[in-house]
Amino acid sequence: MIYFRLIAASMRSQLQYRVSFTLDTLGAFLSTFVEFLALALAFGRFGGLGGWSIWQIAFLWGLTEAAFGVMDMLFSGFDPASFSQHVRRGTLDQILLRPVNLIVQILASEFVLRRVGRILEGGLIFVLAVANLGIAWTPLKLAYLPLVFASAVAFYGALFVAGATLSFWTTEALEIVNVFTYGGTTMASYPMNIYTDWLRRIFTYVIPTALIIYYPALFFFDLPDPAGLPVWASFLAPLAGFGLLALAFLGFRFGLRRYASTGV
Amino acid sequence: MPALFALARSAFQRQFAYRAANLAGLVTNLFFGLLRAAVVIALFEARGGAPVAGYGLRESVTFMGVAQALIGWVALWGWWDLLRSVKTGEIANDLQRPVDFFWYWAAQDFGRAVSQLLMRGVPLLLTFGIAYPIILPADAGQTALLGVSLGLAWFCSFAWRFMFSLVAFWTTDAMGVARIAIFVQMFLAGFFLPITFFPDAISAAIRLLPFAGMINTPIEIFVNVARGADALMAIALQIFWAAALYLGARLVLASGIRRLTIQGG
Repeated sequence: MIYFRLIAASMRSQLQYRVSFTLDTLGAFLSTFVEFLALALAFGRFGGLGGWSIWQIAFLWGLTEAAFGVMDMLFSGFDPASFSQHVRRGTLDQILLRPVNLIVQILASEFVLRRVGRILEGGLIFVLAVANLGIAWTPLKLAYLPLVFASAVAFYGALFVAGATLSFWTTEALEIVNVFTYGGTTMASYPMNIYTDWLRRIFTYVIPTALIIYYPALFFFDLPDPAGLPVWASFLAPLAGFGLLALAFLGFRFGLRRYASTGV
Repeated sequence: MPALFALARSAFQRQFAYRAANLAGLVTNLFFGLLRAAVVIALFEARGGAPVAGYGLRESVTFMGVAQALIGWVALWGWWDLLRSVKTGEIANDLQRPVDFFWYWAAQDFGRAVSQLLMRGVPLLLTFGIAYPIILPADAGQTALLGVSLGLAWFCSFAWRFMFSLVAFWTTDAMGVARIAIFVQMFLAGFFLPITFFPDAISAAIRLLPFAGMINTPIEIFVNVARGADALMAIALQIFWAAALYLGARLVLASGIRRLTIQGG
């Protein structure tokens, strides 16, 4: 399939500059690791955060980071910052002319391998969390975990696609989208009960970040929801993640009809 | 001197061209400030609200707001102008200017920093102050110390960034190196949490490094945790690092220029 051939070519070219690749990967690893390190070091003086231990937070943190990292690698082409360049420079015209599915082409247009650093960071923190937590694993939990992860990838992908779609109207990258993507991952890395009600509601009912990792985590830890949602809220992650991604692609198709080339 | 002033002023004005980007940046910084404040509040709840080494809840919440407000002042997320000019060779023009090369960039960065502080820092802190009760420097003396400390924080950060950008003289991977430096520096500067919150041995060691003076020191003065002799000691350390980093920057510049070859004409 053409997607895999394009990705493989892109990976080969990125691996040509070994030193540069290694440095960039290390940078991606450190980008949010240092923040977790600061929290972990300070934890000794406080002993808890919203009733959660450092390893319970590490569970949220690791899953969120790894999922965002995988998404950021797969959906680089839809990253609002780079997609808006296609719109502004008119290079989207070239893509539209080719007889290959548009979404496949955009997905294949960029595949940023150095994001592996962030995936490793999330993975490391998650493994440490699971090793220290003593979760009472059941077959259901084991089966649900990969689904939660995939839903999180889809969810953050939906945010990227939505951000990219907006650039059909603005032609500029809307930096405000960062609040929901990068801000959303930081937010999802902590238990939701520490946030004020309006913030928590927005990120549960409007942009359902809380449904993606936090509510499933309550199920993995066998904890009741302090905000009082029933147990099935922990199982909405796939619906929210994949549902939003489908909606985002629909919206993208709609936005595309509005696309007017800037002409080059 | 008038030339430096003109450079700073034009760099200051240039920032106002990016109004939409600055507004978006402001909203993002503010959002992160609100999240970090929520984290700190939850941490203190777990402790029953008891202060940590002079930091009560209000001091700590204010710390988070001021840290976000200072991002632009010390260009915490990176500064690529000089690095790019080395990479592209534009540096050849700048080296011929009748203004000292270090101060040529320092003046422009100062203009940038002041406009970032006014356009992003101050509005951020005012908005943050509506969401959470913050504290301000206790009196005129403390405010004066804050001013001095903020100036030194900018200078230390500039000299450090200047030195780092010149790595581009030696390697084409300077960007990757600089990005790693940025994240390490954020942690060591106390951007995520006050340095005092770390275990004693670690926080004592981090305090001695030049990065603490870029974020942690001015904020400790802002929230009145460092007062009197403590504040003066912290400022003395900032002065030491300012001098050391300045010398370092000069040395790197001198040896970099010696091996510089500009391609083409």
